[in-house]
Amino acid sequence: MEDLEQLTKKFQKEINAGIASLVLLSVLDQSKEALYGYQIAKMLDDRSENTPLMKQGALYPVLRSLEGSGLLSSMVEPSVSGPPRRYYNITAEGRQTLQVWTEVWNQTDNFVNAVLKGINNG
Amino acid sequence: MANSIEAYLRELKSEMGGSDIATIQDALSDAEEHLSTALKNQQMEQPELDSQVALAAIIEQYGTPAETASAYKEVERRTSPALVRPASPKPASILGRFFGVYIDPKAWGSMLYMLISLVTGIFYFTWVVTGLSLSLGLAVLIFGLPLGLFFILSVRGLALLEGRIVEALLGVRMPRRPLFAPQGGKWLDRIKALLLDKHTWLAMLYMGLQLILGILYFTLLVVPLSISATFLMTPAIQLIYHIPVISLNGIQYFLSPGYLILCVLGGILLLTLTMHMSKGIGQLHGRFAKFMLVTE
Repeated sequence: MEDLEQLTKKFQKEINAGIASLVLLSVLDQSKEALYGYQIAKMLDDRSENTPLMKQGALYPVLRSLEGSGLLSSMVEPSVSGPPRRYYNITAEGRQTLQVWTEVWNQTDNFVNAVLKGINNG
Repeated sequence: MANSIEAYLRELKSEMGGSDIATIQDALSDAEEHLSTALKNQQMEQPELDSQVALAAIIEQYGTPAETASAYKEVERRTSPALVRPASPKPASILGRFFGVYIDPKAWGSMLYMLISLVTGIFYFTWVVTGLSLSLGLAVLIFGLPLGLFFILSVRGLALLEGRIVEALLGVRMPRRPLFAPQGGKWLDRIKALLLDKHTWLAMLYMGLQLILGILYFTLLVVPLSISATFLMTPAIQLIYHIPVISLNGIQYFLSPGYLILCVLGGILLLTLTMHMSKGIGQLHGRFAKFMLVTE
């Protein structure tokens, strides 16, 4: 049997696989301007309580895949110093998707909490 | 533990081994962008902090090369390249496989690519020849330098655009962002680095060759397509419009019904073979484009 820590890590990773897309869409939806990866990672770090739920490096492939499916758009801008930055923006399709996904998330949240409470009480 | 951004990128590259070249390039440029931005911010906030210590903390948050690589592989596994529909299930029989090419999106994509490659080929060739001769000719004058730089950058931009076309029509994964020109340093150093980068020259060579390939592809597609169209139309032309196959010295030659059926069968056979050929050419060209535009 794998130890608890490893199992927990795996569990967290499985949860993150879906949540990351929702979180990234939401951050970009709330933002007035286009954001680049580092800004997004910083914002998420400030939001999470003690330890961040996912490594910052794991956000980038998700951003790219969201762009690939047309939910985000991006453009590269040179920066004064350092490599050019890729700025991401949410598309109209992305906003629609976010609405539906938020609904799905709320349902999931309610369902899971209801089940967890049920188990604790019963 | 990586003690510089370069070392991190090297480790990440080796961890990404086996992945698609284009994904590796994406991963490397994301990491480079993030780490250098984070390091710069850290140095502004705490200038007294040792840069190695700062980098270690940043990497701790970003993830080790192994973790980052596995995140990209995970996402790559879940998503297929842009616009590529999942491969259609292969019909089992030989006949089914032979005629299944009509529902194969790759074959249609390749045909479209062969058709437009003539146009893009002419454009690329003209652009490269004009740009190269103007840049070289005006190199002695003061405004030759910015012109040359603009030309080189435009070649890299066009290479990215061609990559997007190749990915969309031929289904070969190509980079989604431009290759980095080395940053920092003086303008002259940057131009030198651009000139020393083999991608610049390979892209230029590719664009020059694209004229020849474009003509070849276009001909290879249009000629058999017209011939098979003629074969397929022959019965209609003869039976409905009463136009003979051959008219020689006032004598009109018509095909007998048996030959008309053969004509149609031949037309279908040729059309199907053309589809197969286009698909093959498309795949070959995809590999060629990847080699020329994305090589390590």
